[in-house]
Amino acid sequence: MSGGISRRQALLGILGFGGTVAGTLAPAAAAEEHPAHPVAPPDAVSMLYDSTICTGCKACMVACSEANGLPPDTSLSGGLWQMPEGLNAKTKNIIELYKEPNGPEFAYVKRQCMHCLDPACVTGCPFGALKKNQWGAVTWESSLCIGCRYCEVACPFEVPKFEWDKWNPKIVKCEFCFDQRLLEHMEPACTAVCPTGSVIFGKRTDLLAKAKERIAASPDKYFEKRVYGEHEAGGTQVLYLSSVAFEKIGLPKLGSTSLGHYGTKVTSVIYKWLSGPIIVAGILGAVIKRNWNRHEAERPEREKKSGFPDQL
Amino acid sequence: MTSLDRTGTNLINHWQRGVPVYRASVITPTFLFCGALVAIGCALAAVRLFSPLGPFSGMNDAYAWGIWKTFNVMTLTALGSGPLALGIAAWVFDRQKLHVVMRTALVSGFLLYATGLIALGFDVGRPWNFWNALLPWRWNAESAMLEICICMPIYVAIFLSFEILPLFLERLYYTGSDATRVSLRKVAPLLRRIYPFMIIGAYVIPLMHQSSLGGLLLLAGDKIHPLWQTPFLPLLYLLAAGLCGIGFVTFLLLIACLRYSRALDIGVLDELGKLLCAACFFFLAVRAGDLIWRGQVHAAFALDRMSLIFLVETGLILVPGVALLFKVVRVTPRSLLKVATLACLGGMYYRFVPTTVAFHPERQRGYFPTPPELLMAAGYIALAFLGFGLAVKFFAVLPGDTHGWNNKFRSLRLPRWANRHEGNPLPGAEGETA
Repeated sequence: MSGGISRRQALLGILGFGGTVAGTLAPAAAAEEHPAHPVAPPDAVSMLYDSTICTGCKACMVACSEANGLPPDTSLSGGLWQMPEGLNAKTKNIIELYKEPNGPEFAYVKRQCMHCLDPACVTGCPFGALKKNQWGAVTWESSLCIGCRYCEVACPFEVPKFEWDKWNPKIVKCEFCFDQRLLEHMEPACTAVCPTGSVIFGKRTDLLAKAKERIAASPDKYFEKRVYGEHEAGGTQVLYLSSVAFEKIGLPKLGSTSLGHYGTKVTSVIYKWLSGPIIVAGILGAVIKRNWNRHEAERPEREKKSGFPDQL
Repeated sequence: MTSLDRTGTNLINHWQRGVPVYRASVITPTFLFCGALVAIGCALAAVRLFSPLGPFSGMNDAYAWGIWKTFNVMTLTALGSGPLALGIAAWVFDRQKLHVVMRTALVSGFLLYATGLIALGFDVGRPWNFWNALLPWRWNAESAMLEICICMPIYVAIFLSFEILPLFLERLYYTGSDATRVSLRKVAPLLRRIYPFMIIGAYVIPLMHQSSLGGLLLLAGDKIHPLWQTPFLPLLYLLAAGLCGIGFVTFLLLIACLRYSRALDIGVLDELGKLLCAACFFFLAVRAGDLIWRGQVHAAFALDRMSLIFLVETGLILVPGVALLFKVVRVTPRSLLKVATLACLGGMYYRFVPTTVAFHPERQRGYFPTPPELLMAAGYIALAFLGFGLAVKFFAVLPGDTHGWNNKFRSLRLPRWANRHEGNPLPGAEGETA
């Protein structure tokens, strides 16, 4: 029985019809829903972005907008060309430039959803609008989203964006071109169009091996000789190689424990099998019943003494 | 029964049951001011129905939660946790003296929760999808947000509503016809039969969602400053709710009795003071234990910006805690009011800081609420204030002297005076002047 199902049981139990519904749901549960260090399933797809190869041509940005039907964000360029300030409600994918303030160091970085192995946004989403879909793509379903924006608060990479200026706002984020291309057995638009091969598409296991090969071939080229995304926040399906420090190009320094594990490890125990609320209700109930009965037994005497009916 | 204390005020044992405020007018300058704020809030809410959240509020992608969530819900429902904290003290720990102040706690709690839920309704971007809450198989059971979405409305709509039902029935009983009285006499035993079961739910449910409010912030991870980000957030949020709940009911009782010139009950106030003292130290003990356990004590005393914010927060809770150890503070209304205010501020401060001041997204972008956002937040508070003012006048909410009241209620048709032509209810009513 997993922590996830057990909280469902807890809530339903409080409503009084927990047993039946939770009983039917129980077999669906896996061993542990949020291990501290999740393991990627064998079919997990991935992107490997090598910042040392990228020339900053931004072909991927245009391809992304085209594939996802997004309008170009031209606000900074006076309406001339696509020029977003960062990821936003019109931009699911962006190439950013890092330049050392007083030095020659510079690097491009591609930003989009990291498709975490255990995404915090999916753990937090109340009605499962965001979910870990087939091949591990994190996708958003409009009919389930109430617009609470917990995903924006939870995401350590600050990827999900909200359409603040729309009356019927959507959560906008890279979905690995899931509906548009993955389901049609095509790779995502950005990797398909990249002319230099700085971002490539493949199975996560293959790309991780490839990234490590590149590091082994020229160890001095890569920052910390490691792949960003292998362990960050429990591991992500987008992997990065860079010659510049990851923090400098906007990839936050994160621990290797998944946020889903951190956020649910205590509650999953408390709510397991509905035990916490049931035990608390049982203890409270026993004591309340005793105190209530005494209170009621003393009521006639109290009412006689005070001369007014007892108030609840 | 009544005796004089040092300051010459009648203080002893005056709170025997809920008594409506009889003589104060309903239409006062405060009433009009709050009414105006509510009207402005409603007008802006009407605009919000057709306006996107974007330019209307100051929220942005970095600070996706504005004051409607972080203040009206996260902070003010802590103040509204009086029914939880005092209810547990009264019914579980058998502090019988507290039964008389439960109605004040319940009404204020109901109003703060209800206005918080309204705030939430206008805050979410896609409220029409909320009907998914009715389909349990769509629930993401592990989400703390789900628990709040489900638990809070249930708590307000079922449990708090049930607990304040006696107020309405009592009024109906004394103002209604004989037929009404006969049927209400039949309802009363039924109510008493299910009451103990309902209050179990009324304590278990808020224990769950008040801790889940802290649980929400766990997923924000490193965005929240290490002085506040801890696996103990759910417990600390719950303890802060208890602290605020007790503190706010004490504050409210003192303010309301002062406003309506009601005699106080030093026995009950002493009891509330003791509970508040315990709540302060319990909170501080867990907070300190957590900082030591996580090795963050150095950050607490680094004397940088966040450390100072932490020290102010701790001071706001520590000072009332220490002061309330002394009986003279607990039994002096003036000092009790001061320390209860400090404790409330401390608890609110703790509930507000992690989502705002200590919330540091990687891509810093400022957030400050826009005027419509602030006015709507003020409107929710004014609505609760207005509701409380009306409740104490039309229902037997505020505790008072038994002999000051002969079960007469202010008429709904005569808003200024209740039964003016019949004269004052009873001469014993302690001067409730306008």
